[in-house]
Amino acid sequence: MIGLRAAVTIAIALILCAALAVIGWGAQRVAQRTIVPAILAKAETVGRSAGGLVERAVAAGIPVRDLVEVPAYFDELRAPSREFAEIRLSLPSGEVLARSGTRVGLDDAAVVRTAVQGAGGPVAEIAITVDPTVVWQQVGAVLLDVAFIGVVALLVALELVALVVGGRAIAALVAVEQRLKALARGRLATQQDDGGMAVRALLAPIDAITSRLGARHRQARARAVQAGDAALVARLDRLAERSGVGETEGTESRLAAAVRPALFLFMLCEELTRPYMPRLAQGLAAGDAGLSPNVAASLPIVAFMAVVALCQIPFASVSERMGRRNGFLAGALLAALGYAVSAVTGHYHLFLLARVVTGLGYALVFVSAQGHVVDHSHGAGRSAALAVFVRAIMVACLCGPPIGGVIADRLGAEVALFTSAAVAVVSALVAAMVVPKAPRGVVHAPATLRDLARSARAPRLMALLLGCAFPAKLLFAALCLLLVPLELQRQGYSSAAIGRFQMIYPLLMVLAVPFFAALADRWNARAGFVIAGGLVSGIGSMLVPLNPSAVLIVVALALLGLGQSMSIASQSALVADTAAHAGGRPAGVLGLFRLVERSGNAAGPAGAGVLLAAVGFSIATALLGAVVVAGAAVFALSGQRSAATSGSRRHMRASSSEGSPV
Amino acid sequence: MVVGSPLRSGLDMTRATVSLIAVFALIAAACVAFGTYFANATLSGAYGTAVEARFKVTATRISSIIERAASLGIAVPVQRTLTEVLRREARLEADLISIDIADERGAIVFSSAPERVGQVADAAAPHQVVSLVRNDFDAIIGRVIMRYDPRALAMVADEIHGALWAVAWPTLAGAVVATILVGAVLAGALRRAVRRAAHPSRWPGAARAVLAEIEGVHRDAQAPGAAGGGR
Repeated sequence: MIGLRAAVTIAIALILCAALAVIGWGAQRVAQRTIVPAILAKAETVGRSAGGLVERAVAAGIPVRDLVEVPAYFDELRAPSREFAEIRLSLPSGEVLARSGTRVGLDDAAVVRTAVQGAGGPVAEIAITVDPTVVWQQVGAVLLDVAFIGVVALLVALELVALVVGGRAIAALVAVEQRLKALARGRLATQQDDGGMAVRALLAPIDAITSRLGARHRQARARAVQAGDAALVARLDRLAERSGVGETEGTESRLAAAVRPALFLFMLCEELTRPYMPRLAQGLAAGDAGLSPNVAASLPIVAFMAVVALCQIPFASVSERMGRRNGFLAGALLAALGYAVSAVTGHYHLFLLARVVTGLGYALVFVSAQGHVVDHSHGAGRSAALAVFVRAIMVACLCGPPIGGVIADRLGAEVALFTSAAVAVVSALVAAMVVPKAPRGVVHAPATLRDLARSARAPRLMALLLGCAFPAKLLFAALCLLLVPLELQRQGYSSAAIGRFQMIYPLLMVLAVPFFAALADRWNARAGFVIAGGLVSGIGSMLVPLNPSAVLIVVALALLGLGQSMSIASQSALVADTAAHAGGRPAGVLGLFRLVERSGNAAGPAGAGVLLAAVGFSIATALLGAVVVAGAAVFALSGQRSAATSGSRRHMRASSSEGSPV
Repeated sequence: MVVGSPLRSGLDMTRATVSLIAVFALIAAACVAFGTYFANATLSGAYGTAVEARFKVTATRISSIIERAASLGIAVPVQRTLTEVLRREARLEADLISIDIADERGAIVFSSAPERVGQVADAAAPHQVVSLVRNDFDAIIGRVIMRYDPRALAMVADEIHGALWAVAWPTLAGAVVATILVGAVLAGALRRAVRRAAHPSRWPGAARAVLAEIEGVHRDAQAPGAAGGGR
């Protein structure tokens, strides 16, 4: 079953699309009445102009049949007027002498005819076929933009609804939905949450039954253990595993979830910049002779990603010292400053510096928010809290690019950057309102370089990190953040359209990660899923040179999303298992994992910028895809085929690196 | 453990669902309004572009006439036949105020409106289309300026605005009402599901099956001499 919020969202998305379709129909009717006559008048004027030229040639003694370069002239006339499907010059007999364009599929289209007069009457005719659907297509494109914004606005509203409705009320709704979903799945675990307190009276009958069953189950198991009945113990355990009876399942604590709206807003800031960042950087570097356009486009992304990668580990202790709330506020304001400077500067190097400042703020916000969730959740609730944290980031990845693209198209990239700055400030305000002040935490010693070096010696860990984790992020950052935006821009797509392409990856991640994670757990085949995911995502990119059209770009993005959905959860689980079994400090393994992943994020756009300049889009994409395939093969050959120790699903979530761009 | 009253619990859920639906209804309304606004802007822009493109074609044709004469050595100010050409072209376009030919310094030398001759053309004025006249060396030797009546464009823009909003208002109201109805139906279904969940006999099939299995295993475990009851 789906929850109330999801059901309302789907229903309203359908209502919205239907409403926009009605507006589209109204626009088509009014265009038919007003714009089509204007286009026909324009066609008459063009026909008269072209006819006049032919008449002069005829008057100069050149027979119509001997006129040269007429199609090229008609091409020129059609170039600025997409609504002219075809212009043709024909004799009174109907014989066509010259033609530009085609009227195939436009049998009912209006044709504007202009007679070409000679000394003894008409000697030829110019016929212009008008395709008024071009105007409707423009309206359709606008409404498509609006529909995307509408659906994205619904997702944004879902993330921010706790701010409007109140955390208590939403927690109550979540508690109710959680129990109903569990029943629908046949799970009878006791639900542990603080949201349920608000609707305790409604939920008491359900909770009483599951608690009673749980207590009885534990008693039965204890008796069976006491009696030494191993078969009964095994039967009870199998039942518990399948039905959850006797177990406690948790949702995120309300305190831990409090940071979610602020984090979502903050993550949205950077996602807004995705569709237009490469184009903007190229524009700013236009006067800089020392930089090729492709390298200029990649550097701001590389600088941002590199700063985020390098600062994550040291900022963890900075955030602990400052307090999570203060860390969030400082980071958000720092990032807002970076966005604002990026918006006002016309100087490329200052723009780069501003991106570095934004990266510093981003890293600080990220570790503070993650630290807040970890500080305020425990046991079963921590996995749920971290899962919600990850989902907020993924929804931001989904919502940001289409909104940013539309703002950049309609109001300019500078306004879009100011929007990011404003949203960052709002996220700081929201954090100040909803994130509780907490005493400065006990500062845990951060993972040191020695920890990282020791972790690198864990069996087969480096094959996983360098063979799979690094190439996966490398390909993602290269393809989604640089190569695809630049290629689509070259093909004439708007920033809004590029933003829609950039939704493909996070959409598939949101939908498919839970499915593949469950499948990998059920089949106990995490290593297999990591290898298969690498192969799928890499092969998708290797297909691009076959025909670097929008269709194959969509295929490559979809296979990237699908492949990484297959591998990301299993990859995180394998790392978590390694961390759990590592001698010394698990933080070293997790720290190394994140460092390697984020290095991939930084290396991706850098490598792609260089490759793009050297070999072009399709070969660059294929080469990066080949790196991912080779990495997966290396990991497969390293022997990490054996299934990791089971029972680390919670670790998997806790150690998952968000599955997000950074 | 503090147990709230059913009334309080119900109020919390009602508050959550009503607020949720209200927020979503507002978003739906805003999206329809934005959609209409953007469609209006696109259509008005498309109409303006079509009209200006038509004038541009005429202006370019006149420019080419002047350029041909200039290439034969006839300077712009002495191409006297232009006045008649301009009048003829102006008569064909009802929305035109005037067609002016300005020399390289911007002084109007010919015009379909004779009173404009001798005035200085404002190259940056709105509601006009300009085509440059160049000589064989690509130097600018004059301009063809077509001034049109913006009221004609405004009239059509008003018509587009009126027609679109005539469709948009009922659509907007319909979207809001549909959102509220759907929300209410779904919220009602949720309430009923909660009430049903209080009684195991009314649980979903999967939960009932698991419950029966648990009851069975527990019964076996509690049976006298349960040791060896594992199957």
